[in-house]
Amino acid sequence: MSLTFGSYVPELTSPVTATPSCAPASPAPAATFESLFASCAGAAYGVAMRLTRSQPDAQDLVQDAAFLAHRAFASFEQGTNFRAWFLKILMNCFYSRRRQEKRRPVTSDLDDTPDLYIYARSGEAGFPTQGPDPAAQLLDKLGTERIVEAINRLPEEYRIVSTLYFMDDLAYEEIAQVLGCPVGTVRSRLHRGRKMLQKALWQIAEEDGIVKASARRDDA
Amino acid sequence: MSRLDRTNCEEAFRRLDDYLDRRLTPEELRIIEEHLEVCAWCAREFNFETSVLHGVKRKLREIEAPTDLVRRILSRLPSSPEEGG
Repeated sequence: MSLTFGSYVPELTSPVTATPSCAPASPAPAATFESLFASCAGAAYGVAMRLTRSQPDAQDLVQDAAFLAHRAFASFEQGTNFRAWFLKILMNCFYSRRRQEKRRPVTSDLDDTPDLYIYARSGEAGFPTQGPDPAAQLLDKLGTERIVEAINRLPEEYRIVSTLYFMDDLAYEEIAQVLGCPVGTVRSRLHRGRKMLQKALWQIAEEDGIVKASARRDDA
Repeated sequence: MSRLDRTNCEEAFRRLDDYLDRRLTPEELRIIEEHLEVCAWCAREFNFETSVLHGVKRKLREIEAPTDLVRRILSRLPSSPEEGG
């Protein structure tokens, strides 16, 4: 398979710095691209899967990002957060691809999801609302694939932020650096995205017969 | 941040997301935790939301990259960055 990526080169002038809350141990001064890439490829693939919703596209996206990162590796500041730096390149690759696609109008019935969506419904559906890990039973019944599907149902702007948050545990500031947007935007999208995710999870639980479908659609 | 007490659940709830994401200052965190100690209703909601958040994170991190993805990509990289451009 030939490797194709456009002439697009991401902006790499501002290194993404590590924060104490989630930064991995600083790499050795002479860490190679290969070793650093191998250490974060799994996480990058997970993010790419959520962005593209397709295994082949995710692999292509990681591959494109790896090529660009390899080419720009001299600009990576050793000792800073390689994973966040790489994810920034991956996001730029993703946006570059998206710009080349015809954008579809996004409609979502997840807007205006009320707070505590799952909590408010769990009790009457027979799921626990208290205890050491009360949501575990429902999430276990849903399973990883269906939780991924719930993420996939979020509108793109919320899906991207939620993906970086849930899959990589990046701090708000790191997500903002990866996406090139203000921290406040990350915060508001994440908070709203989490509410939407709860509704999407519940909808899937209804579709799968895990909980009884509610006739009520006012969601109040 | 104003004082939270049993009658101030709404103010505590407004800080739920920041509590979950450890974005509160030590003082704010102390006040929220004090409130959760005396308000079983809020404590239950906060505990449930923590469970959802951690559960989703746990599940999503079970996803693994194809075993040969890294090997395949690295094998296709040019021997020097200059060759790729």
